[in-house]
Amino acid sequence: MSDQRTILIRYDEIGLKGRNRKYFEKTLLKNIKRSLPKDKGIEYRVPRGRIMIDLSAAVADEYSDRLKRIPGISSYSIGITMDPDFDEMAALGVQWIEPLIQPGTEFKFCVKTRRSAKTFPQTSPEINFEVGSRIMSQLSPKGLVVNIKESQFTLEIEIGNSGTVVFHNREMGLCGLPVGSSGNVLCLLSGGIDSPVAAYMMACRGCRVHFVFFDNQPFLGRGGYDKVLKLSKIVNGYQGRAKLFVVPFQDIQVAIRDSCREENRVVLYRRMMYRIASEIATQYEMPGLVTGESLGQVASQTLENLAAVTCVTSMNIFRPLIAINKEGIIKHAKEIETYDVSIEPQPDCCSVFMPDSPVTRGKISILENDEERYPGEALKEEALRNMETINVDRL
Amino acid sequence: MIYLDNAATTPMDPEIIASLQDCMRDQFANSGAVYGIGLDAKNKIDEATETITTALGIPSSHNLIFTSGGTESNNLFIKGLCSPDKKTAYSELEHPSITETLQSFREFGNETFSLLEFNKEGRLDLSCLPLLKQRRIRLLCLSHVNNELGTINDPVPLISKLKNDAPQTRLFLDGVQAIGKIKIDKSIWPGLAGYSLSAHKIHGPKGIGLLVYDSRLTLNPQLHGGKQQFGVRAGTLPVPLIMVFAKVIELATERQQETEKHLLKLHTHLVEGLRKLDFPVLINSSSDDFQCPSIVNFSIPPVEGEVMLHHLEKQEIYVGMGSACSAHSKEPSKILLGIGLTEEQARCSLRISFSRNNNIDEIDKFLQALKSAYQVLLSTFIKGTSDR
Repeated sequence: MSDQRTILIRYDEIGLKGRNRKYFEKTLLKNIKRSLPKDKGIEYRVPRGRIMIDLSAAVADEYSDRLKRIPGISSYSIGITMDPDFDEMAALGVQWIEPLIQPGTEFKFCVKTRRSAKTFPQTSPEINFEVGSRIMSQLSPKGLVVNIKESQFTLEIEIGNSGTVVFHNREMGLCGLPVGSSGNVLCLLSGGIDSPVAAYMMACRGCRVHFVFFDNQPFLGRGGYDKVLKLSKIVNGYQGRAKLFVVPFQDIQVAIRDSCREENRVVLYRRMMYRIASEIATQYEMPGLVTGESLGQVASQTLENLAAVTCVTSMNIFRPLIAINKEGIIKHAKEIETYDVSIEPQPDCCSVFMPDSPVTRGKISILENDEERYPGEALKEEALRNMETINVDRL
Repeated sequence: MIYLDNAATTPMDPEIIASLQDCMRDQFANSGAVYGIGLDAKNKIDEATETITTALGIPSSHNLIFTSGGTESNNLFIKGLCSPDKKTAYSELEHPSITETLQSFREFGNETFSLLEFNKEGRLDLSCLPLLKQRRIRLLCLSHVNNELGTINDPVPLISKLKNDAPQTRLFLDGVQAIGKIKIDKSIWPGLAGYSLSAHKIHGPKGIGLLVYDSRLTLNPQLHGGKQQFGVRAGTLPVPLIMVFAKVIELATERQQETEKHLLKLHTHLVEGLRKLDFPVLINSSSDDFQCPSIVNFSIPPVEGEVMLHHLEKQEIYVGMGSACSAHSKEPSKILLGIGLTEEQARCSLRISFSRNNNIDEIDKFLQALKSAYQVLLSTFIKGTSDR
């Protein structure tokens, strides 16, 4: 067998795009190139509807694993590029199928061809027949039968203008859109389970997600900060090039704690977080905020309280988890490997700042009245001045 | 940096670091191997055992088992002797490696007898000992020095009274916080069924501890897979760790009197300093002779200990909050609640623990930092100012 392999990448919704299709394809190709090592001998081809990578067989498995973390890819296969010669294709099929047949038992297989090079003389069904019958002539005495509906092994052939690839496996990708194709957004990241999932979901919609963390030190230890570094690093693994902004928030919390109505504290903290996040997003040209809020999950996430925080900014606010229950969010968090970090026992808010019974339906006029009692604007500017900016790629 | 959390762990002695490096390079052989270098390793363990027994005055009636630390020693002895159905007692003020081990017997329907109501400033009131006879308690488990408060259960009167009031009850002491800080009276060993020690509390490495136990007792092994250490704890012995452990015990016992004097000076200076502060400080440790000088526990209500800890951390001053093993738990310390503190007093506590490396100047800096941080934090913690 050849020591070269071809990874054949199929992409998801880009296929549906009209005139922008080229742009999406280019973005996906750039993301793939960025996540694979810059080895010599890796060749990229972009025939219509596919991205193909030619590389050494020795690294094909390892490198292809990285494709599982790139939004925009629907599936991929590792195959072999060869001449469209029926005898050679059948020989490869025999080589793959023969070891799988158990003596004395039936083994079902089929051949599926996709022929985008319309100049190729045979049609797809004809190619299926030519290759399939050659394989059958050798292996039917050993128990091989053709069965399209219940096939245990599907030999796939793609005949395109840039070559013919034969393969038999399909690995699923993350689907969605390639990161960067939709633009930049800023996610309010806590140390909890929800916000990293929300960030990941937006990355799968083509956004490059940056993060902002509101730090409670020294009321809490560095544990929360460390946790957010780890979480942003994991989520950034799906996209790359994220920034993490760490905003010192303790002075604002102290001021709200000391000056405002106790029951309103949490909503007031969140209004300030939204304002600060909006300023950062505007400054860095990120036209949207992302949060991990889920309707009704806690007191601050009622319809009224969500409205009370939304109205402090004119920016797009994306809440991809709004209608997902906790179990569903946890399932996602486990899949994207943020869950174990999120449940590390680090407090995310010092108990001294928490009210005994937080308001569930905050009234905007009362919240605004509270905000007249402390120098919010000055404290916000101060927090932004002391903000730390971290390049997550370097973590 | 000012490090005042030595009951959690201590920095390693530079001399010990150098020795450990040498031992790791030179004594790599398996002490169970029959060739020469294996026998050399075995000899090193024998020498270390000899050094430890001499330093602590342990009689030949007692065996030494090297473990991974205090927690394992406590688990091994208590489970090895009493699981699943032997009757046990404790004061509930012990380290979780004792309390939770004993409470694990509940699944066999074996409830440990609690002597919590007989504690006086964190020590067991000896008047309760006849109860152990009535209840046919087989093993009493206590801390020699309480890990959060520093209060001492003095084994000399305890053993003597136990012999009289409940002769069938054996005594196990967790000595992890005691060694090197207070005098270990050599006469106590015949009265002790078991005693645990750990190297990292006395400037040694983490990962090595010791169980000293009466060799007439049969301990069921908790780890299987070899005949090492009387068949009680299987596993290849960490020769270099054992060698330096012997050395730290030797150093700790040699310097014990000098260390105790130094710790007492620090302790007195800190307690006096805390009393002179212009805000109320509640000293939770005891003030009599049965207080280990290495630990001072106090509360500064309404300011929470955890918040104060992080404010001190900003000044590179590191202090403790309850037991280090449960520092992430949101529940206030069970030990502090156990001696009668309110939830608020327990939540507002800090534990300062010294080693011989600390000095008066550091205590003064700590007091100054505590005072400044308290002033900053006080308004934040005063309740009832917000609903206007």
